[in-house]
Amino acid sequence: MSILSVRQLHIMGKQNDIVKNLSLDVQEGEWFALVGQSGSGKSMTAMAICQLLAPNLQAKGEIWCGEKNLLTLSSSEIRKFRGKRLAYIFQDYQGSFTPFLTIGQHFDEYQRTHLNLSKKARRQQAVNALISVGLNEDIYGRYPFQLSGGQLQRVSISMALLLEPDILIADEPTTALDSVSSFKVLQLLSKLQKETGCAILFITHDLRHVRKYADRIAVMKDGAIIETGDKNRVLNHPQHAYTNELIQSSPSLRRIPFKLEGVSG
Amino acid sequence: MSLLDVRNVHKSYDNGVEILRNVNFSMERKECLGLVGESGCGKSTLARLILQIESFDKGSILFEGTELQNKSERSLKPYRKNIQAVLQNPASALNPKLRIKDSLMDPYLQFGSLVNLKYFTYRSEANFIGQLLETVELPRSFAERYPHELSGGQKQRVTIARAISIEPALIILDEPASSLDVLSQAAVLKLLGGLRETLDTSYLFISHDLSAVQEMSQRIMVMKGGVIVDSFEKERLFCSERHSYTKELISMFE
Repeated sequence: MSILSVRQLHIMGKQNDIVKNLSLDVQEGEWFALVGQSGSGKSMTAMAICQLLAPNLQAKGEIWCGEKNLLTLSSSEIRKFRGKRLAYIFQDYQGSFTPFLTIGQHFDEYQRTHLNLSKKARRQQAVNALISVGLNEDIYGRYPFQLSGGQLQRVSISMALLLEPDILIADEPTTALDSVSSFKVLQLLSKLQKETGCAILFITHDLRHVRKYADRIAVMKDGAIIETGDKNRVLNHPQHAYTNELIQSSPSLRRIPFKLEGVSG
Repeated sequence: MSLLDVRNVHKSYDNGVEILRNVNFSMERKECLGLVGESGCGKSTLARLILQIESFDKGSILFEGTELQNKSERSLKPYRKNIQAVLQNPASALNPKLRIKDSLMDPYLQFGSLVNLKYFTYRSEANFIGQLLETVELPRSFAERYPHELSGGQKQRVTIARAISIEPALIILDEPASSLDVLSQAAVLKLLGGLRETLDTSYLFISHDLSAVQEMSQRIMVMKGGVIVDSFEKERLFCSERHSYTKELISMFE
């Protein structure tokens, strides 16, 4: 069953169309990767899903989440979807936090908006969430600037999954991290996905990030999806020349056998 | 004599945090040496020490046999001419109020008489800028543009053109492709690889991306917590004698 179904989505700016006639389906519990280079309209698509687009951009089409078309909902109705049904993690982890609030205060605001819990229960839930992403309890009292990029991204993941959403939209969550932290964040996401069973719409420009975890891949170019399919099919037998170009440019370690001691080693 | 010799360099901050501990390595002319490690391990600090924009506590950095630390700004000038840098964020490396041509002319004007061009020729400003832009595969018309009119990849090409304009002996590339998407990344790395051969220059290539380092360099150094834990010829990356941390890095890319 599909959790999220985008039908003929158009996003129009003042002068040009940013996204053209885009359709995609994310199934329950799957890791769906949307891949494309910068400017291809990946993030705009993600933002349109929850009506987060800037006011000068217009979205047309249908976005179904369960029985509701999200594009037709009023702002108070869409609030019930954000957080509870759909959650986001963004590339810019610094922009996801208010610099003068502690991590605990961020949790508190989120919990008070969506849940009805006592102060003590809220704290306990937040601490449990931090522990579930491999962070220490004392992070609760810290300010965002006291944490590293990888730690902040973990906090955003723990907060996004707090209300057990059906789908998590991860917009380049590892692009701003170094390869060690991004490896750990990806591993964590995959572990949590198995535990909670939520679907992930994973947006990235780097195919290396989806090689291991994605179930299906859609390749986007100039505002349209040019190829969709099972991960192995897309990566091993790309149908479109552009997909192939993306695969070739994403650098990977080459195991060149060391010739001089190739036999003995 | 090596091009660059870094001997027992230590660096710590006033609060006692040690950034670099006992860093030792040397670089030959025309070599590309890769430096890989996770964020916060001290890679960029090392780059700043070599560029002489930050001082260190102990040890010495020799460029063609001459000690750089504690030299006056004036006597440093010939070395500055020979060590240029391309940094991660091209947007902050270009003055937003200057046209591309003015940013590109800056090093040539700074180092005036010290510049001895072999590959480029200086006939007129327009001609020189044209040669630089062509070398980094940008249209000549970009000379009149401002940085905000260029994409990230194009801006990075401009900073590369600026770094090579005075034909330095060493270019420090500190994550030159990390802020770009994969297609621009591949193009910029390919450009840099070709330029090193045409210009006969050396690179210190700094990155957290082991696969990019493998592609670019002949030798690789691995840094962890301010210490160089492993150093080897690129071909030996997968040999069993590698440090456990190097092996851990490799496993993350497979």
